Amino acid sequence: MDLTYTATEQQFRAEVRGWLAANAPTEALPPIYTEEGVAEHRRWERTMFDAGYSALHWPREHGGGGAGLIEQAIFGEEYLRVGAPTRLNRMALGLAGPTVIQFGTDEQRRQWLPGMLSCDDLWCQGFSEPEAGSDLAGLRARGERDGDDFVINGQKIWTSMSAFANWMFAMIRTDPDSTRHRGITFIMVPMGTPGIELRPIRQLHGEPGFAEVFLTDVRVSAANVIGKVGEGWSVAMATLGFERGTGLGDHVRFARDVADLVELARRAGVADDPVVRDEIAARWVEVQQFRRHMQRTATRLAASGTIGPEASMTKLFWSEMEARIFETALKILGPLAELADDAPGSLPDRGFHRRYWHSRASRIFAGTSEVQRNIISERVLGLPREPRWTSN
Amino acid sequence: MDVELSDQQRELAQGAREFLSEQCPASRVRTAWDEGHDARLWSQLAEVGFLGAVVPEEYGGLGLGDLDLAVLLEEAGRVALPVPLLETAVAALTLLDAGSPEQCKRWLPAIAAGEVVATIGLPGQSLVVAAPDADLLILGRDGGLHAVAAERCELTAQPAFDASRRLATVRADTGADSALSDDPTKLARFADRAAVAAAATLVGIADHLVRESVAYVAQRHQFGRPIGSFQAIKYRLADAHLGVEFARTLTWVAAHQVGVSDAGDPEASAAASAAKVAASAAQAAANEHALQCHGGIGFTWEHDLQMWLKRGKALELAYGTPAAHRARIADGLFAAGGQR
Repeated sequence: MDLTYTATEQQFRAEVRGWLAANAPTEALPPIYTEEGVAEHRRWERTMFDAGYSALHWPREHGGGGAGLIEQAIFGEEYLRVGAPTRLNRMALGLAGPTVIQFGTDEQRRQWLPGMLSCDDLWCQGFSEPEAGSDLAGLRARGERDGDDFVINGQKIWTSMSAFANWMFAMIRTDPDSTRHRGITFIMVPMGTPGIELRPIRQLHGEPGFAEVFLTDVRVSAANVIGKVGEGWSVAMATLGFERGTGLGDHVRFARDVADLVELARRAGVADDPVVRDEIAARWVEVQQFRRHMQRTATRLAASGTIGPEASMTKLFWSEMEARIFETALKILGPLAELADDAPGSLPDRGFHRRYWHSRASRIFAGTSEVQRNIISERVLGLPREPRWTSN
Repeated sequence: MDVELSDQQRELAQGAREFLSEQCPASRVRTAWDEGHDARLWSQLAEVGFLGAVVPEEYGGLGLGDLDLAVLLEEAGRVALPVPLLETAVAALTLLDAGSPEQCKRWLPAIAAGEVVATIGLPGQSLVVAAPDADLLILGRDGGLHAVAAERCELTAQPAFDASRRLATVRADTGADSALSDDPTKLARFADRAAVAAAATLVGIADHLVRESVAYVAQRHQFGRPIGSFQAIKYRLADAHLGVEFARTLTWVAAHQVGVSDAGDPEASAAASAAKVAASAAQAAANEHALQCHGGIGFTWEHDLQMWLKRGKALELAYGTPAAHRARIADGLFAAGGQR
């Protein structure tokens, strides 16, 4: 056990802090779901790229920063501490890129990695379908081989950033006789291809952000397949595994949310209410648990490189914790909680309601809390699997 | 940055687990309920060095630190150890922290040798565990720390639902000659150590409850299938396991911080309180879910589960209730404007 940082790590933190102080936008950028917002975020990503901070976790030979986990965590902490902009191209830098690095050919790496790093290419994820949510292996979008191409028909949903993305990494069923995990292929789809239609979906809190993607006779080169045809499930699982390395500095964000609760309690005149104080302290404890858990995860990842199904525990803990933080905020506000952000009598900072409702979404995206509990109970605790229900 | 046990600490945990599971099966815990202090078990713990784990080598101990103790106490919790290892270890650390060389010399070698049972009473805490068996009581009284020999204490036994805790209310004849220190930061560290030690023990109790329940629901069949295949059961145990894992890491870090920080460091105190809150909550969840998963059989006197259920509930509320620790954390948070 050692909670201190080495001189090199401290110097790295100082560099990052100094660079962010000099370069990070001081005003909030326009929202990421607008043309203007994308342009502004792209400019910021470009600044990060030029400074070498764009993909700290990628190996140097592929244009990344080659940083270790502790450095990644330090960067994450400093980035969140100054409230720097939302990362624009997370699907590329966090998921698609590492997948191409691990499973792609040299040619594929040359084709896609530079555009991801520079953010000239924005990426979206084509996994979920209307009938394949928690049960991803039930996906139906079909790809038929036709010469050097696949012809894709089907529908994807909950596709974030699809309106601005020019690439989608997708899971497509290329063997029509296959079921479940077999016969699925991981393929890169250019979003400009004829036959792709988007229907934006407005989210519960009012913002756009994701969409349905309809694919009708979409012709994609077989050269865009990552890994082997029909073996996309294992590629996709590795892709989702790359999410595990992320979030190392996220405790900073949650700690700030708890600090905001203290301030909110003052504004609401309930700072001396023992029930309110008790709840805020409980939230603080949870953030400390998360913080130490992530530091332990980093230690374990650094030692072994992998953490397996325990990643579900991280997701379940932080999403439930985040939701509880914002429920505590609502309790502090009492009847004022329902006021819109721009109501004259509203107490929290602007954007509060978006964040409250977003915390409710956290329990759903990237595997619902229930899916995570299934994984924990079956793959970590080793409990018997649910008998599979089969229709005649 | 390294938030993990060292190889030696892992070996300590493994060795303690093997020793305790062999020497302290549930039957021995049950016997202690009827027959009182298990002096033979106490000598065995001295022989393997557990009683002197945190006693410096110069006083005949192993010279281990707070985190090592947390590792050991988790294993003690796992077997529901029916003797006051937690209290004796915190007493030893407090003597070391606040006592004079004479006081250390008088008590620490005897503690390590198993000749002395020591226990603790925090400020404001009237019920003292193992008081009838103790030779030495480290007490927070009148704003200071005291080391009081048993003959200067008047006890009123207070039977508890966990008979192995052997509680008593204590009237101690404290005075200048029993005083260890009136430094409030040392008094705070005494309470912090008790909280962290309780947290570590609670993690062990909770982990045992989860493991026992996992084993039980995998073999218990109803409706033609193992009940562990029902999500209603799985979700309880997934949540309980999550609580244990996240409480354990926080407890390790708190133990480390209390050990390496200067007396009076508010960050270490906050960490200690947080560990007690988290471990108490993890235990409370495991306690509830374990009995639900066992159903009727778990509610019998014959089944061993009750010994962990009762020890868990007792420790959940001892050495600072979760609410008291949260109140202390809140005081710090509001004083600092939410930043810590």
